[in-house]
Amino acid sequence: MNTLLVIAGMGLVTFFTRYAMIAALGRELPSVVRRWLRYVPAAVLAALVAPPALAPTGRLEWGARGWAALVGALVAWRTRSVWWTIVGGLAAFCLLRWLGL
Amino acid sequence: MNDLRRGLWAALPLTPGLLAFGLLYGVMARQVGLRPGEALAMSLIVHAGSAQFTVLGMWGAAGAAPMILTTLVINLRHLLMGASIAPYLRGLPARWKALLALWMSDESYALAIAAYEGGRGSHLYFLGANLGMYLMWAASGLLGAVLGAAVPDPARYGLDLVFPLAFLGLTTSFVKDRRGVAVALAAGGLALLGARWLPGKWYVLVAGLLGSVLGLLLEETPRP
Repeated sequence: MNTLLVIAGMGLVTFFTRYAMIAALGRELPSVVRRWLRYVPAAVLAALVAPPALAPTGRLEWGARGWAALVGALVAWRTRSVWWTIVGGLAAFCLLRWLGL
Repeated sequence: MNDLRRGLWAALPLTPGLLAFGLLYGVMARQVGLRPGEALAMSLIVHAGSAQFTVLGMWGAAGAAPMILTTLVINLRHLLMGASIAPYLRGLPARWKALLALWMSDESYALAIAAYEGGRGSHLYFLGANLGMYLMWAASGLLGAVLGAAVPDPARYGLDLVFPLAFLGLTTSFVKDRRGVAVALAAGGLALLGARWLPGKWYVLVAGLLGSVLGLLLEETPRP
């Protein structure tokens, strides 16, 4: 198997997934599409957060990760800072681990 | 130039997560028989963490076509991200759009779209966030491949939480009213279901699609 061929193929299909819509939606869009797209970031970001925080192995489980995410959410809400959200969430996680949770 | 620096700076808090997973990627790449140069080439040319880990898991057991197809399937979620950021890139020349798409990761997309939403975004900011992620991912992967020693599991120290926490911090830009809260809660719940029943990272695509359509529906419902 040609390693570089695999890598080139992977790179090509990945670029396609990233570029296709940026290229396709390059003109003035109908208002309904524009309004729909405004809700995509909230939905995508929430979808990227929930499983690693609440179901790290696929199954729903409430543990140190859930608490860390809850603390992170509070910090995010109060500070709107990515830095402090990460610091707060990780500190909560380490503290809970240290306490044996 | 200032925007480029701000974008790079915005990617900085993600360093612990990038380093932990990059090192792990490099070590895994060596274990399945890739040379350090090949591991680096994959990071530089593909630049997609989830897909790279999944393909390493198939290495030697599958042919080229299944591995490339798997990469495509895992990265389909970028179609949705590309669609949502496209309106902000409309005035740019095609070569700028292609350059920004080339290194758009989940994280740099999130940083860039939050900046656009807050009125602080620009193509240079987006490029800076892309570049920060791109360079750190490639460098930490190479380091792992060269060292080749056992690195600790990122999950042990909660470093797998760095990216989700960053997304959480950026979500606040988009959850400003009850509709935003409903969209985020619905998408989060759907993602939990999807993570259980759908392969790979499809839950991001499905929950992102359904959650955002819900936002539109809530908008269209006439008030009594």
